[in-house]
Amino acid sequence: MIAREMFEQFKQRFGPRIQRADLPSDSRLFVYIDPLSVRHVCQEIFRELDARYVASIGLDDRPYSGKFLVAHNFAFDKDHLFCGVLAPLPAESPLLDSISDVVPAASWAEREMRDLVGIEPVGHRYLKRLVLPDGWPEGNHPLRKDVPWNSVPAEFDPAREFQFDDPPENCTVVPFGPFHPTLDEPAHFRLYVEGEMVRGCEYRGFMVHRGIEKLAESVMSYNDIPMLAERICGICGCVHNVAYVQAVEEAAALQAPARAEYVRTIMLELERLHSHLLWVGLACHIVGFDTLFMQSFRIREPIMWMAEKISGNRKTYALCVVGGVRWNITSEIAAEMRQVLDKLESEWRPVVAAVSRDKNIQRRTRGVGVADKELVKNAGLIGPVARAAGVDIDCRRDHPYAAYSRLDFDVITAEGGDVWGRLLVRMKEVFESIKIIRQCLEKMEEGPLQLEIKDELPVGRMGLSSVEAPRGESHHFVITGENNRPRRWRVRAPTYQNLQGVPAMIKDQQIADMTISLGSIDPCFSCTDRLETIDLRSGSVKVWSQEELLQLTRKEGVEK
Amino acid sequence: MSAIGMIAGGLLNVALVLLAAPLAQGILRKITARIQSRQGPPLLQPYFDLLKLLGKEDIESGEVPGMQRFAACLSLATILAVACLVPMGFFAPMSGAGDIILLIYLLTFCGICTLLAGLAAGSTYSLVGISREMMGMIALEPLFAIALVVGALHTGSLRLDTVLQGSAYNAEGFPWSGILMLGVMLLSFQAFVQRVPFDIAEAETELMEGPLMEYSGPKLALFKYAQMAKLIVYSALFVTLFVPWGSELRFPVGWLFFWLKLSGLVLLVTVVAATHARYRIDQALRFFAGLMGVAFVALILASYGH
Amino acid sequence: MSLLSKLAETLICLKTERATLPYPAEAKPVPEKFRGRPIFDASKCIGCAGCANNCPAREILVYDVCQEIRIIKYLGLRCTYCGRCADVCPEKAITMSHEFENGTDKIGDIQQRLELFMSTCQRCGRCFKEPSVLEQLKMKGYRFDDLQNERWIFRSQARLEGDAVVDDLKIEMD
Repeated sequence: MIAREMFEQFKQRFGPRIQRADLPSDSRLFVYIDPLSVRHVCQEIFRELDARYVASIGLDDRPYSGKFLVAHNFAFDKDHLFCGVLAPLPAESPLLDSISDVVPAASWAEREMRDLVGIEPVGHRYLKRLVLPDGWPEGNHPLRKDVPWNSVPAEFDPAREFQFDDPPENCTVVPFGPFHPTLDEPAHFRLYVEGEMVRGCEYRGFMVHRGIEKLAESVMSYNDIPMLAERICGICGCVHNVAYVQAVEEAAALQAPARAEYVRTIMLELERLHSHLLWVGLACHIVGFDTLFMQSFRIREPIMWMAEKISGNRKTYALCVVGGVRWNITSEIAAEMRQVLDKLESEWRPVVAAVSRDKNIQRRTRGVGVADKELVKNAGLIGPVARAAGVDIDCRRDHPYAAYSRLDFDVITAEGGDVWGRLLVRMKEVFESIKIIRQCLEKMEEGPLQLEIKDELPVGRMGLSSVEAPRGESHHFVITGENNRPRRWRVRAPTYQNLQGVPAMIKDQQIADMTISLGSIDPCFSCTDRLETIDLRSGSVKVWSQEELLQLTRKEGVEK
Repeated sequence: MSAIGMIAGGLLNVALVLLAAPLAQGILRKITARIQSRQGPPLLQPYFDLLKLLGKEDIESGEVPGMQRFAACLSLATILAVACLVPMGFFAPMSGAGDIILLIYLLTFCGICTLLAGLAAGSTYSLVGISREMMGMIALEPLFAIALVVGALHTGSLRLDTVLQGSAYNAEGFPWSGILMLGVMLLSFQAFVQRVPFDIAEAETELMEGPLMEYSGPKLALFKYAQMAKLIVYSALFVTLFVPWGSELRFPVGWLFFWLKLSGLVLLVTVVAATHARYRIDQALRFFAGLMGVAFVALILASYGH
Repeated sequence: MSLLSKLAETLICLKTERATLPYPAEAKPVPEKFRGRPIFDASKCIGCAGCANNCPAREILVYDVCQEIRIIKYLGLRCTYCGRCADVCPEKAITMSHEFENGTDKIGDIQQRLELFMSTCQRCGRCFKEPSVLEQLKMKGYRFDDLQNERWIFRSQARLEGDAVVDDLKIEMD
């Protein structure tokens, strides 16, 4: 009904521009639009109809329909609806008007499409490489179907480097990363600093791009991919595992058994608990308060033991297969879980009280890294970052999945949009997660854990799934395919969106607040310039410059 | 005091500081670990850390390696020189060699060594680190100088052994200036020994160790040793200035009392460091500016005999 | 006053026990379901290669020396301890042990090599009972993974050189 009503609205607004529409269920609407009208349609949906931007996907559909396909996904959170605006592009000239001037949040997604699939966003203002290394030859687009998954391009140019913009006047350049004690993963923020204040920033990331989507399309199979998916992230693996499996189930019109849905919910909430507790500890460590860091980790430890008891591992639960889950929650485990949750709640309350009263931490976090409602809308920010700005979005309530539609919980928001707000939101979400797990343990029904899948999955169907990770919305898009593997699998992790808001958040703030601002989005992103060699025989010392070092290391890599 | 006696006393003080500094660090880490509910490293770990660092290869990195080496050696040397001037449970062995002005100079010099280190390294992060260190020093060193000057005003002399015997309380009536300076020094003590909440210059998570960024191996060992020694030396100074009671008893009771008081101070430093978050440089400077105001009031009171 | 609240916090911290153990002197016992290193039992293995087919990391190689002998080799290099091999094995020949201290400088300590006598088996794959159609054996027939270089080969051969193919079996090639 909702999808149909929205479709009627679209017909009124866009009329002849719509070539075709698919309404596979009440909460999904896919409209195929003529490429020339895509920008106009997206602008209306984003601004007039006030939808939230979710993700953009580019794919090479040439072996099947002879065209490239671009999908821009939007969400109508109040109506519990996902809407995909799809545009088929001719194979000889895959061009599409860029929507990044009307939907700034799509900026990275379009650059990624350009790098990986070769779809050119016409009119994009910042067309530098996003995903592929700078030496990658032009014209070689890995996600195209004619590029083998294990090819190494011969024309890789190791000397080519990323060209940074010039710094603004009076600013010195302070490089932040790729190696920095605060960050666990490499990312490069080039800060332009005037005295102690940050005036601008440029980002170069994707240093640990592993080509997961290409692997999944080429050599893995449906039930192998969940194991791959959960290694996308170092903390919220279960989210990707569940989101992928849900997307495939939606595409294939499979419904996992009720008990499996409850188990998935419980494991997702356990993951949220351990992630938030870790983050609070980490935030305190960044501001120099190591004791609270250690205490948070101590309080969090029983959750890890619980996860290990249920799934066999503290973090990589390897939980789902298509159609169900692999691990059961027995009554002993349920009883123990209740005890663990009671203890956790009783220990966490004083910590929340202590942190809320602590003037020291407040002084370091109030007014820092502010993201207001406008930035949240334009940059498509999600998760605690958005909720701390007062924007009330949460996929568990807006686009229910697993067992969430049967459960009762509150969505925590705060005002101010600063790091302090995010800290409060995450600390209080811990209590909501505990409430959800307790309800699941009550309501869980007996039943099978996995579906019996007798037939091969249908080919060429689209499925979407948005799961609320601890960091925000993790969105997976799957098109089922032949040979027991998907044709296209796109993962849009929450940090992908949130990072796009970071330059605006750290502008005109002190450099000391840079790390806590970056840390407050809870980043999960999966050059040092000299090396000295000493010739022991002659005693001569040679200092290598960056160019020579790059030559030395890259040449060897390509030869293999 | 004979020359041999002075030299022997000086060497004894230096040896005491060198031995006690890593032990104090070890106790500090163990207590911090207990507050953080974990096992913590063994008590003697800092000795092993220093040995390990000293045994590593001395690599030259940074812009001016010669200056880096100079800064590392000088930093430990100045602290040990201060140790010779400070009474560690008995009279200061070299107190005839200088007066409190020398003490103030030497202590400031030790801070300057960190600045030299950062400059010699020449990387962006170390330069930002030393700019913070400089700002901190400008706000901080005068506080200590004023404490000593208050003592000098009360006793009417600049000699070390007279000033460093709890002279802050030698006022004619109720020692207002002494009490004020005690408060000021207690509140700023963490900054002198470079611990949280005032270890801004070496904030690991923000600045990648700041001025010490390009240091490794033996040079780093010297700096670390200097930092550990600072804790002992500053605590000794604080105890002799502001907590003199019990030290005038005969050896060994007086000596034991002194070390007991010193340990108490180290314990206080540990607990405060474990329970606070780090301040940002502007917040710290505002704090010190407030303390400076109080210190000036104390100075004025002292010059009027209170 | 903030000093009092800090003291209160310190007291709370001191009341709790130490959370860390002096490992390796003292270790925490692992739970029953713990997924450690997989152990292959050659006496139960029937050589169906279902484990190799369903290993997401492609760490189990299969090599047919001749009609009678099949070698299954577990490489252990990129094993993610996911337990799929143990899930799909029709004979329960693979157990996920409790060993997690697997660091070694000789990879041979972890690798496991099974030499199986296959008799008149045509490697048709019917002995592998897949849990669902999504785990079906993709590569039936004779397999020649590269044991020397420890690499998985993506194409299999329907027959050994010089052997006749049995007519009533439909052997699939990838």
